[in-house]
Amino acid sequence: MTSPTPEALDLKAVVRRAVAALDGGPPDTYPTTSDLSIDEELALHSIGWEPVELVSGVSIVSIPLGWWNWGQGEITAAAEAHRHAFANAVARLHREAARAGGHGVVGVRVESAVRPTHVEVALVGSAVRPVGATARPEAEVFTSDLSGRDFTLLSLAGWETVGLAVGASFVFAPRRSVGAVLGQQTQNVELTNFTEAMYAARETAMTRMQDAALGLRGTGVVGVSIAEGPMSFASHAVGFVAIGTVVRPGPAGHQRVAPIPVVPLDDAFVAFDARTLE
Amino acid sequence: MSDAVNDLPEATEHRLEELERGLFTSDLSVNEFLLVKEIGFHPVGLVMGSSIYHTGIQTRKWSQSQELTKLTEAMYNARELAMTRMEEEAAELGADGVVGVRLDVNYYEWGKDAAEFIAVGTAVKAEDGVSRRNALGKPFTSDLSGQDFWTLHSTGYAPQGLVMGTCVYHIAHRGLGQTLSTTGQNVELPNFTQALYEARELAMTRMQDEATRLGASGIVGVRLEEKSHQWGSHTIEFLALGTAVNKGSDTVDLPKPVTVISLDH
Repeated sequence: MTSPTPEALDLKAVVRRAVAALDGGPPDTYPTTSDLSIDEELALHSIGWEPVELVSGVSIVSIPLGWWNWGQGEITAAAEAHRHAFANAVARLHREAARAGGHGVVGVRVESAVRPTHVEVALVGSAVRPVGATARPEAEVFTSDLSGRDFTLLSLAGWETVGLAVGASFVFAPRRSVGAVLGQQTQNVELTNFTEAMYAARETAMTRMQDAALGLRGTGVVGVSIAEGPMSFASHAVGFVAIGTVVRPGPAGHQRVAPIPVVPLDDAFVAFDARTLE
Repeated sequence: MSDAVNDLPEATEHRLEELERGLFTSDLSVNEFLLVKEIGFHPVGLVMGSSIYHTGIQTRKWSQSQELTKLTEAMYNARELAMTRMEEEAAELGADGVVGVRLDVNYYEWGKDAAEFIAVGTAVKAEDGVSRRNALGKPFTSDLSGQDFWTLHSTGYAPQGLVMGTCVYHIAHRGLGQTLSTTGQNVELPNFTQALYEARELAMTRMQDEATRLGASGIVGVRLEEKSHQWGSHTIEFLALGTAVNKGSDTVDLPKPVTVISLDH
């Protein structure tokens, strides 16, 4: 016996309703959604903040054909596409957060990929606000890829989270001549063409990240993660991407956290290991 | 020193200038950031050095255990290049040291025998303005985490530098006669054992020599790595890595550890 195929939903209508609901803004009785763990939510409440809504921002920006194949210097179209994709995704995240009444978005998961033809960026995080606070204009909403726990800790130490800073650069590494390849076959030698390309990509990307941080009027970037190396689809192009959360000291300045060392007395927990069955 | 700084690419200057004006970047986690602040250090910037290096070829005798000096030299040279470039950046920033240094080797499709050696860390500076540089007047380097740095500092120790020793060694194959004569017996294979011992000793000794040069009293957090990279079997790199430390003061600020039992499992 086969069950009848359910009627396909009219996706456009569903999306339109969801978007319309966003436009109306949240009523007071609006239920809270968030992807924070219970621990994180409690930590947030301990400093007087609460989650209001799970928000997301997505953007896919195309890279014109032919940029990866051959050339020299920076692949500017790719870097531009990367910048636009992040800026759009962050702007959408902020718009959703502001409509939900959030003051900022924490625990943002950053999923991004650079493909031959496009750059895709997806951001998902929890909008948060001081308990019961009124909505803030979109331009004042902040984003952070730090967890709720890290946000709490920073805030206890007197630091404000300001936003996400991203820098990317893609550079061609000049090919070595056949003569050079053969001549260096048996030698210990630094490959200066690759080293220089990597340095160029890295300096440009880091500078862009720093400029973004200064633009947000931050005084520092913490938890910077870097991804570097040749592009999988174009081995003679190297890429460097740096992402971090911008912070600045609050009005009271840095507060000491005075940690105490602890020695856990738990025995190491041994999980089930399938290999023991062999 | 000015020569050394000029070795950095031009684009670096602009980035470091921004950092000198007060912005800091760091790959420390929030926990590490706060712990580094706790003992009076401030991060000044994410510093990095890299070198893409082509290792030469050295012939090995099938039945002879020997150090492959050309390959050892390559592994040393390439790491030194990366480390020195990182230190130059830190020095340019006026840092006292670099914490959380990661030293990696990556192989890409750039051709056989070419690898990227990279050193990344966060440069830190003492907030009281007193220099904490090592005996050579250079910023100290250390692969310790922010947590370890805090603990070490609270017990009066100061890191002096990331020290390493390496040795690429070819281990002789056993001859047919040897293999046949030991079939069916419990027996130690002295040539293998001896070769591994010798390679390890060479790497450890070289690491200790580096620490002595820094006037350090000890090396903590030593890791011994054995990797074949892309040389096939019977050729192994022994790499010993650790942080050389020196006792700076006798005051121990480390609070007495509290024992805890977590109730969550």
